[in-house]
Amino acid sequence: MIASIDFRNFKVLRDARIELGPFNLIIGCNGSGKTSVFTALQTLRHLAVRPVVFDNVVTPASPGSLRFRFRAPFEELEVCIACGADGTGQTLAVVGGTEARHRWPEIVARLATLRTISLDATALARPSPPGAPIQLADDGSGLPAALDRLQREAPGTFAQIAGEFCRVLPEYRAVGVETDADGTRRLWAEVVGENRRLPAADLSQGTLVMLGLLVLVSTEPVPAVLGLEEIDRGIHPRLLREIRDVLYRLSFPEGGRPATQVLTTSHSPYLLDLFRDQLDEVIIAQKHGAEATFERLSERADLREAIGGASLGDLWYSGILGGVPDER
Amino acid sequence: MKIALLSESPADEAALQVVVEGVLGHPVTLVQPPLRARGWPSVVQVLPAVLRHLHFQTDTQGIVVVVDSDDSVVHDVTHEKPGFHHPGCRLCLLRATLRQTLKHLPPMNGRARLHTAAGLAVPAIEAWYLSGCDDTVLERAWADGLAGGRTPYTRRDLKQRVYGTIHPSLPFEIRCAVEEMSRHRGDFRRLEFDFPGGFGALVRDLRSWGAGGPPEAAR
Repeated sequence: MIASIDFRNFKVLRDARIELGPFNLIIGCNGSGKTSVFTALQTLRHLAVRPVVFDNVVTPASPGSLRFRFRAPFEELEVCIACGADGTGQTLAVVGGTEARHRWPEIVARLATLRTISLDATALARPSPPGAPIQLADDGSGLPAALDRLQREAPGTFAQIAGEFCRVLPEYRAVGVETDADGTRRLWAEVVGENRRLPAADLSQGTLVMLGLLVLVSTEPVPAVLGLEEIDRGIHPRLLREIRDVLYRLSFPEGGRPATQVLTTSHSPYLLDLFRDQLDEVIIAQKHGAEATFERLSERADLREAIGGASLGDLWYSGILGGVPDER
Repeated sequence: MKIALLSESPADEAALQVVVEGVLGHPVTLVQPPLRARGWPSVVQVLPAVLRHLHFQTDTQGIVVVVDSDDSVVHDVTHEKPGFHHPGCRLCLLRATLRQTLKHLPPMNGRARLHTAAGLAVPAIEAWYLSGCDDTVLERAWADGLAGGRTPYTRRDLKQRVYGTIHPSLPFEIRCAVEEMSRHRGDFRRLEFDFPGGFGALVRDLRSWGAGGPPEAAR
């Protein structure tokens, strides 16, 4: 979907470009621009659904700008967003002539599904009041309502989610939603060997994140682009493989499902270890003083030799990959 | 018989269990929780602690350790000479670690010493899964490629050939692992022929358990 984003004076990114593939794991130290990428995506979605300007060439005079390029079939099209000094998107211009004008409604329909999500355990555990949205919100709230809807309207999908949840976390034998007399929906999970249901508030952070993620990737319509912040949050290192697999299912779907372009961030060397054979899916956010840049690991000519017998996570920690904090 | 498998993933573990049971000729029980390593060099770093734990804290009778060779030296017959130890060979390093750690441990839990078996998947365990299906995937072919500076395939190629994708899910990987190793129906001569250094070494170690012979660590 999105081929690249050019940043100029946008948040911490003075002059940077990030090239994107179907799946992108962005790693780097704090303040290296990872979150700025997500903010840029939100800005694109926000402005794309509003009236736009069509032009052949745009060189914004604004303090900052974002420039998006797209993959086929939208490769002729370019989007330029003028931003204020605080990084707020102000106007969106579509560059690319007549073809771009014809193509724009099609890409807008897809960009409208773009989501940036940061799953928060407290939000995931929160009961859904009557009338609450039935879609998982960007912080994970609405999980009971989303699951309840699946349970009623798509029991096959619900069973698949519950089955996968219990396979990945075998201490549970069932998961579901119960509804109070006033219509409030509450999440529960039943522990193997115990004849009782644990309320969501008693479930671990990692358990809730895993369930939220399963619901997210199983719910239609799938987003064209999905940004997921800190996906390893609260997850045991041994379960990171499951997290990666769930996200891969979105990026590389089977059975004719539309693909979702996934961008995710992590600070976990254990997660990075899983990408030893997929260096083209890892982007290092490098911080240079007050500026930051992005580099895809597969573009590092020296890396194959550098890896040798070491694990990728250890190499990152060592500092030779970059993407580590400055020290005085 | 209770044994421990030290491998990189549940899929590797499932494949190894098929091999171990096929060679020993009886089912085994796996130590719980399952052991896991983060790959090389983490395996050799955690192995001494794992061995001491198994020896003192459990009634485990044997341990099987298998690592991927990646681009490291391929184990061959020249490494098997008594007293020889190739510093760049992961299997030689595993064996040395097993030997050095176990020789200092006193008898415990009704057994003198843990049985040990070590293997080296060249370059990754998916190569073993292709034995009998893809004649180009051989330990010799890989070693020749390494020596010539141009390997005949990559780990990614092997994944694609085995799973039909480089992004298999873990359950699918486990299913393939069990299916491919079960295809040999307990007769692993073809695998031993195709992968004499890495797989052959593993099977020879395992056979020494059944024959009541000395575990590798005692040699």
